[in-house]
Amino acid sequence: MATLRRFLKSLDWTLLSTTVLLVIAGIFLIYSATHMKGDDPWAFVRARFFHLFLGVSAMALLISMDYHALARLWMPLYVVNLLLLFLVLIIGRETQGAQRWISLGFLGTVQPSEFAKLALVITLATHLSSRRGPYRRLRELVPFLLHAGVPMILIIQQPDLGTALVYLAILFGMLYAAGAEPRPLLSVAGGGVALSPLLWLFLKDYQRRRLMAFLDPLQDPLGAGYAIIQSKIAIGSGQILGKGYLHGTQTMLQFVPEHHTDFIFTVVGEELGFVGAVVILSLFLVWLWRAVAIAMGARDSLGMLIAVGVTSMMAFHVFVNVGMTIGLMPITGIPLPFLSHGGSALVTALMAVGLLLNVWMRRRKIAF
Amino acid sequence: MTTDPQRRLTLLRGTVLLLFLVLVGRLWQLQVLQGEEFLRLSEENRIRSYPVAAPRGIIYDRQGRPLVSNRPSFTVSVLPMEVEGSQEFALLGKFLGLDPAEIAKKVEEAARYRPFEPVRIARDVSLEVVTKIEERRLELPGTLIQAEPVRHYLHGSLAAHVLGYLGEISGEELKARRGQGYSMGDLIGKAGIEREYDPLLRGTNGRLQVEVDAVGRPLKVLGSIPPTPGNSLVLTLDAELQRAAEEALGDRKGAIVAMDPRSGEILALVSHPSFDPNLFAVGISAQAWRRITKDPGLPLVNRAVDMTYEPGSVFKVVTALAALDVGVATEKTAINCPGYLRMGNWVFKDWKAHGRINFTEGVAQSCNVMFWILGRQVGAERLAEYARRLGMGQPTGVDLPSEARGLIPDPNWKEQEKGEPWYPGETLNMAIGQGYVQVSPLQVARALSAIANGGTLPRPHLLRSVLSPEGEVLEKVSHGPLEPIPLRPRSLEVLRDGMVAVVTRGTGRSAAVPGLSIAGKTGSAENPLGEPHAWFGGFAPAEDPQLVVVVLVEFGRRGGVAAAPIAQKIFAAYFSEVGLRPAHGTGSSLGAEGMVPQEARGR
Repeated sequence: MATLRRFLKSLDWTLLSTTVLLVIAGIFLIYSATHMKGDDPWAFVRARFFHLFLGVSAMALLISMDYHALARLWMPLYVVNLLLLFLVLIIGRETQGAQRWISLGFLGTVQPSEFAKLALVITLATHLSSRRGPYRRLRELVPFLLHAGVPMILIIQQPDLGTALVYLAILFGMLYAAGAEPRPLLSVAGGGVALSPLLWLFLKDYQRRRLMAFLDPLQDPLGAGYAIIQSKIAIGSGQILGKGYLHGTQTMLQFVPEHHTDFIFTVVGEELGFVGAVVILSLFLVWLWRAVAIAMGARDSLGMLIAVGVTSMMAFHVFVNVGMTIGLMPITGIPLPFLSHGGSALVTALMAVGLLLNVWMRRRKIAF
Repeated sequence: MTTDPQRRLTLLRGTVLLLFLVLVGRLWQLQVLQGEEFLRLSEENRIRSYPVAAPRGIIYDRQGRPLVSNRPSFTVSVLPMEVEGSQEFALLGKFLGLDPAEIAKKVEEAARYRPFEPVRIARDVSLEVVTKIEERRLELPGTLIQAEPVRHYLHGSLAAHVLGYLGEISGEELKARRGQGYSMGDLIGKAGIEREYDPLLRGTNGRLQVEVDAVGRPLKVLGSIPPTPGNSLVLTLDAELQRAAEEALGDRKGAIVAMDPRSGEILALVSHPSFDPNLFAVGISAQAWRRITKDPGLPLVNRAVDMTYEPGSVFKVVTALAALDVGVATEKTAINCPGYLRMGNWVFKDWKAHGRINFTEGVAQSCNVMFWILGRQVGAERLAEYARRLGMGQPTGVDLPSEARGLIPDPNWKEQEKGEPWYPGETLNMAIGQGYVQVSPLQVARALSAIANGGTLPRPHLLRSVLSPEGEVLEKVSHGPLEPIPLRPRSLEVLRDGMVAVVTRGTGRSAAVPGLSIAGKTGSAENPLGEPHAWFGGFAPAEDPQLVVVVLVEFGRRGGVAAAPIAQKIFAAYFSEVGLRPAHGTGSSLGAEGMVPQEARGR
C-alpha cells in the first residue's frame, strides 16, 4: 500500500489531468466530426478507445522502466528505428501519394514515423549527454546533425515533410537546451534556409500546391486553397460561443477536408467558438508548461534533454497544426496531439506523457 | 547542472507562451473581429454537398449484346435542413401524387441520422413534374432535383430470373454491409446476378459541391468527386437462345436450362411465370409488390434453381448408370415385362406391358419393370451414391443466390429424419425417381453434363468475364479443372446408346431434330398437387455433346408430349440457326463447333 501511495504521489497530476481532459475532448470532437461519415456513427469512436487502450499500456510500460535503462538501449533503438523507416519505403501502403503506413493485417496500419520522433528524442538525448556542451563551433554540432539527418532523409522520401519538420524542431530545441551557442545554431538554420530552394525540387506536386495555396489561397479556391478558406470560414463562423456541439455546418457538410484528422481544430473553432478554442489551447499551454517544469527539475542532463525533446515536439505539433487551420501556417499534414483521429499519433502522444512522468518520478529530491 | 540550462529552459517556456498568444490573437481576429463576416459566409453563401449516384455496371450476354444498362432519370429529393415546413411537403405531395404525411415521415426518419444529406422522395419522375417543381422553386427551397441513372432491363422480362432486380437497401442489409460504402436509400441487388455480383456492379458514389442561392438554385459547381461507375459483367447467357427457349416454353409454368456440358456455362435459364425487373428499378410501389408476392404462380421464384421437383423417369439415367457401373446390367441384359412387378404382397404396375425387352429398349421405352428389377439389384444405398456422384441433392455452386439443395434419400437418412425403416418398395420407387427424391432442373442439367462429357462434374455458372467501365477485361472466369467422377467409360457409352434410342424410337421422339443425334430421357413425375410434372433432359450431338437441355413443365402430364417438343425447339434453334452457331465458344473452338450442324445436315 505504502509503495502504491508513494508511486501515486510521485506522478505529476497536473500533466496527467490535462492529458485526460484533452483525450476526453478528443473523443467528443472525433464523434462530432465523424458521426455523419459512413453508416456507423460510432466507428471512429470505437477505434479511438482501442487506440487509447494501446496508448495507455505503452505509457505504463514507459513509466515502469527507468529512463537511464532506456538510454542504455539507444544504439539498438536507433538502428531499429532506421530499419522501420526504411521498411515503410519498401512495403509501405500508399495513400494520397505518400507512403507512410505499414499494414499489420487485421490490427490495422501503423505509421512508424510517429514513433520515430520519440526514438529521436531518446537517442539524441543520450548522444548529447554523452558529449557534453557547450558547443561553440559548428563542427561540434555535426555528429548531432547527422544523428537527426539520416532518419529525416528517410522520412522526406515518404514523403512526409511535416514530420521531417518536427524532427528539426526537436533537434533545435534539444541542441539549444544542451548548450549550443546561438551562433553555430544560427548558421545551421541559415544554411537550411539557403538550401530550401533545393528542397522545392524534391517536393511532390501536391506539396508545392499546398505551399502556394498558403501564400495565396484565393489563387486556387477549389483545390488546395479550398481547405484553407473553408477551415477559416468554419472557425471564424464559430464566433465567441460557437454554434454548439454537433451543430457545426461547415464540418458536418464535409466542406473541410480531413476534419477528423488534421483539421480537427475546425470542429473546436466552429462548434465551441473562441471560448472553446482558448480552453483547448490553454490545456495545451498548461501541459507544455509542466513539461518544461519537468525538464527544469530533472535529475540530470539526460532527463532534462528528454523532457525538452518531448516539449519541442509537442509545441511544434500544436502550433503548426492549429496555425494551419487558421491560415498562419501552410498545410503540412501533422496531427493535433490527443485530438486528431489516428492511432499511431495518439499512442505516440501518450508515450510522450510516459517519458515525462518517467523523468519526473526520478527527479532529484530537492524541490525548487 | 549549471544555471545556464535553467535560463535556456525559461527561454523555451517563454517561446511556448509567445506562440500560444499568437494563436489566441489570431483566433480573436477570426472569431471575434471577423466572426460575423465568416458566419455570413458560412450561411448565406451556401454551399451544398450531395452524393452523386454511380451508374451500375452494364450486363452483357456472351455475344456482347447488352441485357441491362442504365438510362438517365430525375430524382426528387428533400434536404431536411432546408425544408420550408408542411407547405412544402403538401406541394410536393400534390406534384408527385404522394401523401404529404408519408413524405414528412420519411424525411424526418432520415434526418435523425444525417440531416445534411438529401432524402430521396421519388425516383424517375417525369419531365412535367420536374417542370412543375421548377416553376414553384420559391416555395420549395428544400427540394432538390438530381439526375440519376436508373436501371434499364432492355428486354423486359427476358432472363429476369437470371438478372434479378434491385430494391432499396433494408436495415438488415445495411448492417451486414457496414463499412462497405452502402448508405440508406441506396439501391441494391435483391435477386439474381444483380444481387450475387452487387459489389462488382455498384461502383462508388461521387460527391458534388455546389454553391446555391437563398432558394436553392445552383449558382456554380465548386468541386466534384466524380462517381466511379460499376464494373460490367459478361454473362454466359446467349440472348437469342434465351429468347428461343422462353418462346418455346410459352405460357406454361416451368423451367428450362441450356448448358454447355464441357464447361458448365449456362446458355439459357428460363423460369415461368416471370416478371419485368424494370418494375423494381426505381423502387417498387407497395401495391405492385403485394400483387407480385401474392401471385400464386410465384413469379419471383426461379424454378430452375430455387425449386426442386421429383425427377420421375429422368432419374432412370442414374439407375441405369449405377446398374451398368456396378455390373448388374450390360447392354445384353434382357428382361420380361408383364406390365407389373410383384414384390411380396405388393404389385407394382407399369404403364404398359413391354414383353421381352433388352436394356437399350428398356431405356428407350422407359420400362418401369426393368428399372425396378435393376434398382432392386443395385440397392438404395448405391443408387443414392451414384445420384450424389452426379451432383444431385446438393447445391451445384451456381453463381446465383438462394439455390435449392434438393434431396437424395437413403435408408440412413430415413431412419434419422423420419425415425422409420426403409421399406424395400421405396427402393423401387427411388429407382424410377419417385418418393423422396427432389432435384432442381439445374441439378439434372449438371448430372446430364457429366454423362455427356465423359464423367466430369462441371460447376454451372453464369459469369463469363468482368469488364472495367472502360471495357478492359479485368477478370475472366475459368471453369477450372472439372471434378472427375469414378465411372467406367463403358457404362457411359451403353447409357448414351439407350438415351439416343429414347429420341430416335422411344418416349422422347418429339425431341428429335432431323440430322442431329440427340440423347435424352423423358419423365413424368407424379405429384400430389395435380397432374404429373413433365420432364425432358438430353444432350446433343450425342457423339460430341455441346449442349445439354433440361425442360420441366409443371403439370405437363407426359414428358414426351409436353417437355420433349420444347427441347426440340431449343436444340433446333441452337444447332441450325445461322445467327446462333458462332454464339458458342470463341476463337479456335468456333470452327470445330460450326462444323457439326453442317455435317449433320449433309447426312
